[in-house]
Formats: sequence, C-alpha cells, structure tokens
Amino acid sequence: MSAERWKDDEALLENLRKGAPGAVDELLRLYQGKIFNLAMSILKNESDAEEAAQDVFMTVIRKVETFQGNSAFYSWIYRICVNTCLMRLRGKRRNETVSIEEFMPVFTDEGMHASPMDDWSKEVERDALNEELGRMIRKYTEELSEKYRVVFVLSDVEGLSNEETAKILGLTVPAIKSRLHRARLYLREQLSRYILEGKAG
Amino acid sequence: MNCKELAYMLADYCNGSMDPRLREELDAHLAKCEPCMAFTKTFRATCEGTRKLREAIEYAIPAEVRERLDMFVRAAALKYPEKVKEYRDQVERDRREKVADLVGAAAAGKLPSAAALLVESHCASCPGCSGYFDAVRKTGASRAGDPPAGIRSHLIALMQALPPGEEFFLA
Repeated sequence: MSAERWKDDEALLENLRKGAPGAVDELLRLYQGKIFNLAMSILKNESDAEEAAQDVFMTVIRKVETFQGNSAFYSWIYRICVNTCLMRLRGKRRNETVSIEEFMPVFTDEGMHASPMDDWSKEVERDALNEELGRMIRKYTEELSEKYRVVFVLSDVEGLSNEETAKILGLTVPAIKSRLHRARLYLREQLSRYILEGKAG
Repeated sequence: MNCKELAYMLADYCNGSMDPRLREELDAHLAKCEPCMAFTKTFRATCEGTRKLREAIEYAIPAEVRERLDMFVRAAALKYPEKVKEYRDQVERDRREKVADLVGAAAAGKLPSAAALLVESHCASCPGCSGYFDAVRKTGASRAGDPPAGIRSHLIALMQALPPGEEFFLA
C-alpha cells in the first residue's frame, strides 16, 4: 500500500466524519471505479454491480461515524463491498460454477504425477497467445465458485497482500494462501487443457 | 520431496519466500523430474499471466453508470444530515420520557430496588436532587413538569449507571 493512498484515506476519513463539503465527491473519486470493478468481478453483472455499489457507498456514509480506526479505511470499504455482494449472491439462485476439485493435479499413491505434463510456457510468450491468455484467465476465473473467486480477485487482480485479504474477508492468512494456491492450480490446469485443445484442433 | 508436495509448495517457491533449505530440495527434485519442471514452468506462466492481467486492468466504469452512481450517492448524502437530526431528536424524546418515568415512579415510591438505591445514595450527597425529589413527593409528579437542566443531567447519569438488565422501565 503506497504512502500516498494512506494519506488520501486519512484525510478522506476525517472529512467524511466532519461532513466537510466535497468529502463525498472525494470518496467517489477514489473508490467508485474500484468498488464497481470489485462488485463486477464478484457479481458478473453490470446492473447488479451498480446496485451493489450504491449500497456500499450508502453504508460507508452512514457508518463512517462508527468506523473504528483499527483497520485501514480501504480494507473496511472493500469488506463492506464483499459482504454486500455476497449477500446479493445468496439472495439469488446460485450461479453455475465449476467444481475446483476436477482441476486439481492428479498424483499416484507414491505422490508422482499421474499423467504426462506438457510445457506450454514458451508458447504463451508470443504476443498473440499472451492476450488470449488474459482473456481465458478472466473467463475461467468467472467460473470459479465465489469462495475462491473473491480471494483470487482481491489477491491477484486487486493486488492486495494475503494479510490485507485475510482482514477484508475475516479469514486467517493460511486459509487465504491455501485458497489462492488452489485457485492458481485450477487456472493452470484450465489453461493447459485450453492450449492442448488448440494444438489438437 | 515428491511431485505432490512440490505442487503444493509452489506458491512460496515462486514468490521467493521459501525457506532456503526447502528450496534446495525442491530444485534438486526439479532437476531430475521432467513433469514437475513442466508443471512449475506452466504454473509460473499462469501467475505471470494474472500479473499482466492486473496491470492491464483499468478501473473502467461505464460513463452512464458513473453518472447515475454519482447522482444517487450525492442526493443520499445530502439527506443524511437530516436523518442524523431525526435520530438525535428521537433519542432526546426517549430520554425525556424516561426521566419523566423515573421522577413519576420515585414520587409514587415505585422505583425498582436498584434504581431506588442509586437515587437514594445520590440524593444523600446532592442537595439539589434531594430537594427536587422532596418537592415532587409533596406536589405529585404530574404537576412537576420537566426537571431543571442541572437535575435532569444528574438523573440521566443515574439511569446510565444502572447495570445491564436493571435499566429503568416503568412496569
């Protein structure tokens, strides 16, 4: 977290509490894009994300007086956003998600790779495939269940540390590390299958 | 170290936080295991892909969504001070009622024991409140009206001092 962001956040928090003119504008300027995108990556639907973002900002404005300074302001806002989105998901029919277990690496009883491995790492260094790779990562991430998707989005897309993600989600750091690793193993396997298919076809 | 252990330790290996002895062991395994080498390289490529994706992502929010959100939040924020005032007025009304209830019950000798004890011990050291309650007992609470501000603040403090579950409610 950059020092600048800290400074911005502290001033913003102070101004919101005082009800200073322009504080809400500043809140929107700093967080509107981030909150909308985080909501988009969890809810995967623009109108849902917009409504969630409205709820998030209303909650922030209402509760800013009671916000305890024991966690960083941005992690408090992210937490409100994640909770708001998860509540919305619960209220809906569950989205179709893949089972992550089907994409975990398979080992023999002796702990050796059960099937041959293809090394496609050199191929994605070519620009054309590189772009494609980004698109596929997005697509496969969207198919993850929210348990993994939220962790993956906060860590690998938002670039937050495991400690920050743990605070936002109210989970332990080891739990975050384990979910994140499984999400990456899943992605690696999905990408492998995609690239092999491309070769075969 | 076997292939399975290696696969589940790759995160620390790739981000450089792995204990040096473990790293040596892992490197030794990689050197003689082709599938693990391929697995590790493709795992790295996956992480690299997500890192690039992160750099490429812009916080793009559609202009019309931004506009609607701006309007909604600003309008709601404008109404917010009114809401706070409403809330404070409500709290003030509740407090006024509770003080009146306390005075009424004290005048009628119907205070719950914890509250009666607090009032008694407070009055013993506070001539103002003691005089007020004496007067109320003589004239009756209904004609007493709201207590003067000095007395009122003592009574509010008294009620707040009651232990949880002993809060004053007129039965």
